Amino acid sequence: MTQPLYITGIAQSPQSPSSRAWYRFKTDRWGMIGLFVVSIYFVLTLGVWFGLWGTNWSQTSHAFHQPASVTHWFGTNAIGQDIANRGIYATKVAFEVGLLVAICATLLGTLTGSLAGFKHNTWIDSVILWVMGVLDSIPFYLFVAAIAYAMSEWIFAMHLAMILVFWTETARIVRAEVMRLKHMEFVESAQALGQRQALILFKHIIPNTNHLLIIQATITFVAAIKTEVILSFLGLGVKEGISWGLMIAESTNDIQAGYFNNFLVASGLLFILVIAFNFFADALQDALDPKLQH
Amino acid sequence: MRTKLTLTLLLVLLLSACQQESTESTQTLRHSEKKVYRHSEDDRPNSLDPIKASTVYSNLLVVNIFDTLYAYKYLERPYALKPNLAVDMPSISENGLVYTIKIKPEVRFTDHLAFTNGQGREVKAQDFVYSIMRSFDPNNGGTGAWLWQGKIVGIDDWREAGADYDALIPGLLALDDYTIQIKLTEPYPQLTYTLAMGFSAITPREVVEHLGQEFGSKPVGSGPFKLTSFNSDTAYLAKNPNFRAEPLDLAYEGYDPELHSKYGIQKLSGKAPPFIDELEVHFIKETSSRWHSFTKGNEIHYTTVPKDKQSAVILQQEPLQLHPQITDQYHYTYGLEAGFVYHGFNMQDPDFGISGDEVQNQKNHALRCAIRKAHNWSQKNRAFYFGLGQVFPGIIPPSVPEFDPAMSIDSVEVDIEAARTLLSDYGWTADNLPLFEYHVSGSVLQKQFFEQMRGFMHAIGYPANKIKYQPYPNFGQFNKAVKNRQAPFFFMGWTLDYPDAENTLQLFYGPNETPGQNNFNYHNPKFDALFEQSRILQPSTERTALYREMNQMVVDDCVVISGLSRNKIHLWHKNVITFPDREIVGGFHLRYVDIIPE
Repeated sequence: MTQPLYITGIAQSPQSPSSRAWYRFKTDRWGMIGLFVVSIYFVLTLGVWFGLWGTNWSQTSHAFHQPASVTHWFGTNAIGQDIANRGIYATKVAFEVGLLVAICATLLGTLTGSLAGFKHNTWIDSVILWVMGVLDSIPFYLFVAAIAYAMSEWIFAMHLAMILVFWTETARIVRAEVMRLKHMEFVESAQALGQRQALILFKHIIPNTNHLLIIQATITFVAAIKTEVILSFLGLGVKEGISWGLMIAESTNDIQAGYFNNFLVASGLLFILVIAFNFFADALQDALDPKLQH
Repeated sequence: MRTKLTLTLLLVLLLSACQQESTESTQTLRHSEKKVYRHSEDDRPNSLDPIKASTVYSNLLVVNIFDTLYAYKYLERPYALKPNLAVDMPSISENGLVYTIKIKPEVRFTDHLAFTNGQGREVKAQDFVYSIMRSFDPNNGGTGAWLWQGKIVGIDDWREAGADYDALIPGLLALDDYTIQIKLTEPYPQLTYTLAMGFSAITPREVVEHLGQEFGSKPVGSGPFKLTSFNSDTAYLAKNPNFRAEPLDLAYEGYDPELHSKYGIQKLSGKAPPFIDELEVHFIKETSSRWHSFTKGNEIHYTTVPKDKQSAVILQQEPLQLHPQITDQYHYTYGLEAGFVYHGFNMQDPDFGISGDEVQNQKNHALRCAIRKAHNWSQKNRAFYFGLGQVFPGIIPPSVPEFDPAMSIDSVEVDIEAARTLLSDYGWTADNLPLFEYHVSGSVLQKQFFEQMRGFMHAIGYPANKIKYQPYPNFGQFNKAVKNRQAPFFFMGWTLDYPDAENTLQLFYGPNETPGQNNFNYHNPKFDALFEQSRILQPSTERTALYREMNQMVVDDCVVISGLSRNKIHLWHKNVITFPDREIVGGFHLRYVDIIPE
């Protein structure tokens, strides 16, 4: 016997917050498409990491500026390198940069933001707010480019530059959330039980900001990839290896000569990933929003 | 009555407006009648002070604003010198040590406030002496002193003694107002060439002292043009109305009807240059901007063909043929540069060069030679020079008379198997190969050069993780690293200062080691002995044989991966009569440019 749809839904509706979030996420079609595309990129990245594909990205040949073919899916560049291989390898570089920056910036932002929120209206809060204010007052790309240029000898200069910029946003969000949480009953209960402040912060408060951290990390991830492309285009980013930014920079010469493959592949891969990640992040935000969950 | 008066006034105003318009039209017409030639270059000069004219961009303007004693004949190839401010070619003593040069009388500097009554005075022999002294004054930061250092009697002592301009230098004298005498410490056959370079251009002392450091941006000379304004985008020059009238003798300048008549140069015969009223030199680094500026109309009249436009311009490579839509609209010429590009090793580097250990030296020699055998010039030529460059073995390029077309081409042939054998014979394995750092001025193009080089080295088994890209933010910092011996391997170019192979051989002369011109820090006593023997010889078969012997030594020692001379295509509008050449000749051709009125 066919049952009414709403009854089925209610009967199977999960109860735990994470299950409810996943359930809500699944109902977002664009979010699922985003997740699917991001997963493909992730698989591509894993394949490059394990040496399954993209291994010949640096190999040169006599075949310059070849059109797309079975051998070269997206043709070759000015020195006979396979554009498809380079585009795929650059996915790994993008993910490496995105993940490293997202994780470090989120961690740093979480620590400082939660400390500032927990010690609200103390000198600790003032100092952290002042540092964030100073960093935020410097034009974004100027600051990142200046650090990347000043430390250009260091392979992680670009990563550090981005971490120094991106953590403040996370810190502000976490600070506001912690300021709200610390007046809640469960925190007051813990305080009444005589728990140490550090334990209260790390065990009871920060875990309750997870939904914000996940969303913020995804936003930082995409921003880091976009910034890496811009910095690499300007010659301040990736030094070893290849990135979409470098491919786009290379293509400035190609385009003048009427060859567009390098540009289309690099910018296309970037565009699709950014769009997919935005869909994914939006859906995730909706799914994790406690107000919507209730 | 009032109405009539008003009407009369209106009529007068109307007529006066017509008159005004008519005057403006006349002025516009006069302006349009002016012959303005708009030249373009792909970079800008750092200074217009002759003693700092170390780039082709500075030199191009300097030889047009100032006079040099000698110049190159307009059309003759191979390049040949001719007197410019000098009356004749120098009178040289039998032992080749004393040069006596007469200069033309009644040649005047252009006007400047620093002169009495603001009017340019006559150029005297003492001005030349002063101009050379300036290069040796440590306060001036000149970059051309190396041309005469240790070669003119007393000039180094003069510098050591404090560079007093009123003191006499025994080897550099003005015998009278129109006679210069140069005494050399040893024969220096290239001296006359140096007197055609921007570095030796003649400057007026009172203006230099009046302007100080500003002289580099407000130069005053006696050349065919005078500078009216100069900024980072454009130099504006006007014809020097008092420039000496010397009718163009086409036969003397090397005119060949077969080569030059299509450009209309014969129409200039017997006329005195400069033929244009105004000269604009636009510095446009961005290739697409330069190209659009050229093809748009008359924004600029001349350009070289940028790399990214070559496929649109060239129809066929051998023999070179351009697309009809290009040849219908523009005149063109092409030719090999007077210079070449090369990869060099720092021979003082312990991993690739020479150390005290003889066994290691042999291993390093094998390593350098293997890398050279891996290098594919043909592929580089096709990828970056549209296949138009000329690959040649050694360091004597095809643009000089001492070039040896019969020299073995083994050193520029790719041979992967031989390279691998060489490495394995000398015990090189993927594990013990040293880190290969590719030092270069960072840019997208240079990164592609690096990636191609890495591809070549992969082919002989050089591990990818041992090949490192080492970019510098600009050429200055890269050059500094090379001079500080921090770059074990580098990619550079050399443009000849004069058409004599000595100019490239001196790059390998031991005493010229860095911070001198010998970036390779190559020390070979046999090479040095031959260089010292040859440099005092006048051009001869004996000297050419010595040059070629030195060339072979450099090849045998695998010091350099060389070389390729680039082929440049010059395009200019059909209403312009010119025969452009930015090589050794520098900018001497600009005085012969003319515009055909439309």
